[in-house]
Amino acid sequence: MTVLIQPFDKPASRWRGLAGSPQIASLVILAIVLVGFSLARPAFLSPLNISNMMAFLPELGIIALGMTLLLTAGEFDLSVGATFALGPVIVMLLAQNGVVDIGTALAIGLLVCIAIGAINGLIVTKIGISSFLVTLSMLMIVRGVALYITQGFPLKSWDQPGVFVTLLADSFELGPWRLYTSLWWFIALTALAAYILNFSKLGNWISAIGSNRNAAVARGVPADAVKIGLFIVTSVLAGLAGMISAFRISAASPVAGTGYELEVIAMVVVGGTALTGGRGTILGTIVGAVMLRAIRNGIVLVGVPGLAFNIFVGAIILVMLILHAFIQKRSFRR
Amino acid sequence: MAEPALKPANTQADSSPVLSLRGIQKNFGGVTAIENFSLDLHAGEIVALVGDNGAGKSTLVKIISGVHPPSEGVMELSGEAVRFADASVARERGIEVVYQDLALADQQPVYMNMFLGREPVRGPLRVLDRRGMIEATEKLVRELDVRIPSVRATIRNLSGGQRQGVAIARATHWATKLILLDEPTAALGVAETAKVEELVASLRARNIAVLIISHSLDQVFRLSDRICVLRRGRQIGVRRTNDTDKNEIIGMITGLIESEPA
Repeated sequence: MTVLIQPFDKPASRWRGLAGSPQIASLVILAIVLVGFSLARPAFLSPLNISNMMAFLPELGIIALGMTLLLTAGEFDLSVGATFALGPVIVMLLAQNGVVDIGTALAIGLLVCIAIGAINGLIVTKIGISSFLVTLSMLMIVRGVALYITQGFPLKSWDQPGVFVTLLADSFELGPWRLYTSLWWFIALTALAAYILNFSKLGNWISAIGSNRNAAVARGVPADAVKIGLFIVTSVLAGLAGMISAFRISAASPVAGTGYELEVIAMVVVGGTALTGGRGTILGTIVGAVMLRAIRNGIVLVGVPGLAFNIFVGAIILVMLILHAFIQKRSFRR
Repeated sequence: MAEPALKPANTQADSSPVLSLRGIQKNFGGVTAIENFSLDLHAGEIVALVGDNGAGKSTLVKIISGVHPPSEGVMELSGEAVRFADASVARERGIEVVYQDLALADQQPVYMNMFLGREPVRGPLRVLDRRGMIEATEKLVRELDVRIPSVRATIRNLSGGQRQGVAIARATHWATKLILLDEPTAALGVAETAKVEELVASLRARNIAVLIISHSLDQVFRLSDRICVLRRGRQIGVRRTNDTDKNEIIGMITGLIESEPA
């Protein structure tokens, strides 16, 4: 009997495989977007503008990392924007009213985030309601709590320096750029997420659960526990990002992060992670996060009228998704 | 049942059975799904389980694979009485099931599916041993002559027969005692069915027992050493494939031939 294992690693086919992979396509488009904006507006590359983008990038990027893992497992979380607001609001309320010190307040804030994620995960897995409905309800509950406990007003600024403020929102000069410590958080968490998704058993389980949950369960993968864990991770990352943001601008607003859930999902999907689960990429998410940030920033710089801004953002996201659909189809036929 | 006369024809004729079922009964509420079922499975033999829809074949597979505990009766694995708490315990003890729906993750490569749930890791960071998984999978598909483009191929890019081949190869890799095949060719075309049958027949040489559920009597007669007939949860009888014919088996399935005294 002949054995028909075709060599798969011929250089030519490897190149074709790379060009056809969603991450690389996203990377190429990102390069085009960056070059395009730089040519149209040299100010796009000015140290001030880049510093500006780098201050915002990690905050949405950190949430996007959690969302990537969750989407790969076939679920998603619409409550991240509200959690982004509630986390720091709780911390500031407790710390400013002198109930507890800032360290304890941070811990309590994160515990609340864990609870939000756990409730999302338990309802989705144990009661079997779709994550769309569960987390949409949770979005309203969490946002409502944030508004109610603050009476709708942003909390007064927190201006006492301390180890936690330094850890979360210190800034430093690197050459001509002014960077925030949040960038280190983003880099470290990216490395961790990439390790989990690509190099650990857990990553294979996450992909398998999103691909065919019953298959994973039949092979002994604890699918529900993995999903609940990912909901918790996503909520905690959203709360952490909210705290970083609140310390950076020295204020916690109950309406912070409105609309972030969709922005984050757009970042993840633009990067090449499948909305239907089973296939995720951390590299793609980084590309998607940088791309959406660059588009938002660049479109203003090239002088698109403020009110027309979202038309362009939406159109560019749509183009990216169409492109991914084509790549998917081609790789399917191959 | 004339059990002593029904030892397998080919190998280990006088070895002790791998799996021995004695008086297995399963009740769901007041309904008896399986009553007084007894069967010995030996290494290196293929036994077919046949019966009409609702005869209890799938229930029996679920009992053996640890999904449902039996209400009554004894299961012995290599002579040791066992009671599986759930399917993962049965799997650890060397019993693998290939389900109709295949249980493969469509968007994962073949080698990741092969090790899903039991991935080997190495180093202090417990990094997935992809090379090891790929090499083991390549060796296995070569031995079993499963024709797939590559062990790195994604499952959804494979044909139905290739997927079934992967599922059976996975079961073969992990099974040390018994493989249960639930309608392995139900969704396949003629050529692919022939390929999967060839694969199943080759499992005899690997010294494990195979229990196959099939609706195709032609297939049952091509593949099996013995045929066990179920009707409405009752064991009608066990026949050596060489000593029976389709008419007798059909009669046993439909009820034209009544069950023999136990």
